[in-house]
Amino acid sequence: MKEKDAIIDYEPHQLMLYVEKEDGTFGPIITGSYLSKNYIDDYFEKMEKLRLSLLNQLKDNLISPIEYYRIIHDFNVFELSRRTEISVFKVKKHLKVKGFQKAKVSDLLKYAEVFDIPVSNLFQVIIVEGRDSEIKDGSTDTNIYKVRQSKTQNQNLVITKFELNK
Amino acid sequence: MLIETFKHTMAAHCESGTLTALLNHKGLNISEPMIFGMGSGLYFGYLRHTPNLNFPMFILRTKSGKLRKKVAKRIGIKFKSEKYKNPEKAEKELDSLLEKGIPVAVQVDLYYMEYIPEWERVHANIHFITIVGKEDDYYIVSDSYFPKLAKLHKDNLRKARFAKGYLAPKGFMYYIDSVPESFDQKNIIRKAIKETINNMIGVQPPFIGVRGMRMFGKKVVEWPKITRDIDHLSHEVMKINIFLEDQGTGGGGFRFLYATFLRQAAELFQSPELESMSKKMMEIGDGWRNISYFAAKIGKNRDLGPEKLKELGALIVGRADAEEAFYKELKTVIHKI
Repeated sequence: MKEKDAIIDYEPHQLMLYVEKEDGTFGPIITGSYLSKNYIDDYFEKMEKLRLSLLNQLKDNLISPIEYYRIIHDFNVFELSRRTEISVFKVKKHLKVKGFQKAKVSDLLKYAEVFDIPVSNLFQVIIVEGRDSEIKDGSTDTNIYKVRQSKTQNQNLVITKFELNK
Repeated sequence: MLIETFKHTMAAHCESGTLTALLNHKGLNISEPMIFGMGSGLYFGYLRHTPNLNFPMFILRTKSGKLRKKVAKRIGIKFKSEKYKNPEKAEKELDSLLEKGIPVAVQVDLYYMEYIPEWERVHANIHFITIVGKEDDYYIVSDSYFPKLAKLHKDNLRKARFAKGYLAPKGFMYYIDSVPESFDQKNIIRKAIKETINNMIGVQPPFIGVRGMRMFGKKVVEWPKITRDIDHLSHEVMKINIFLEDQGTGGGGFRFLYATFLRQAAELFQSPELESMSKKMMEIGDGWRNISYFAAKIGKNRDLGPEKLKELGALIVGRADAEEAFYKELKTVIHKI
């Protein structure tokens, strides 16, 4: 690849490419990601569409919250089982609505840890008006409010705080 | 506290980049392409029936950890490495090494690297970073995929080092104990190139090497059968671009990095034939880059009918043909030098 063909102006996602330089030598350059620059909107759009479709299935009680987050995180059943250290048999049960109803709190805490969410989010979706997407620990609302979810020493208790976004 | 003498640089790939940075810090002046080539890092595999994977994927380099071990054995580098069951003990020993001014490489789940843009953060247990300091609750991290030194909260580092799942890091860390004063670089290069040739066109399972590329080209046409909907198919097709370009390959699925290795080897051997091979490998990389652009375009446009996927498959099979011819020629060149 020629150096001039590799240069992409995209600061948020930089990477190193090896190229043929103008003097014919081969070496590294730092440039922007072609994919991120040209196609990131499409990625966000697809992810949001997937999330809303899963959320509707969740609302209609067709899938369990574990299945919702499993698909979002792109884990297969075996990987989710390994990461949570819950047997494949039990994970398969928890992916279904009926099985989720019977899940132990200790198992839900393991799922929450792997999905990197407060355990309470397995039972709720927080939507801020004008921003139809769920929030995660530390993320900020682009409009008026900053919503912060913090874990406490009590692993079953999460504090959800709405703060004015100054 | 920061190890001031450590020089942070970006690299094409996290494993070879981390190793190169540590070796340079230890006084061994060597480039990332040379490390990659001498560790026989170039590879190809199409994996479709692995229980750990949600979807078929292709790999372009050898298994994580293999490169480091091969380079160490061939050059004679002595590592100190450790895995841990207890996160507190792992953290304590890491802190103690930092206090002694020793930069330490750790294996992590990329997802927890909070300084990386969110869309890049996927669960991948095979990412390597170097820890070069600590300030209060934050570690100072040198990550080959990030332009400058970054800060990582100790809780996130702990989660990342002790994430479970496929290829779990288990707290793995290593640092360099000693590097040899000299080594037979020419001999290592010959051996390493021969191994890469064997990996690509030698007797291998049908999903490895150029046969693996042909399998990939054939199977990509069947992907609509195993996807949820058109958006899922588009996502998986566009991931071809991510694997080839964005996920730390140096572009063209490591082929540009390998071409640079061949060029550096050609200079060492004073071999015009090897130099010509480096140019050919660069062109092969260009072909892979075209595939990645093509995949991104048809994925974005949802232009994923059978004809387009056949076209994509044909491009991949074309790379297999080009690489097969390349390694056959490289085999004759390497026997001459």
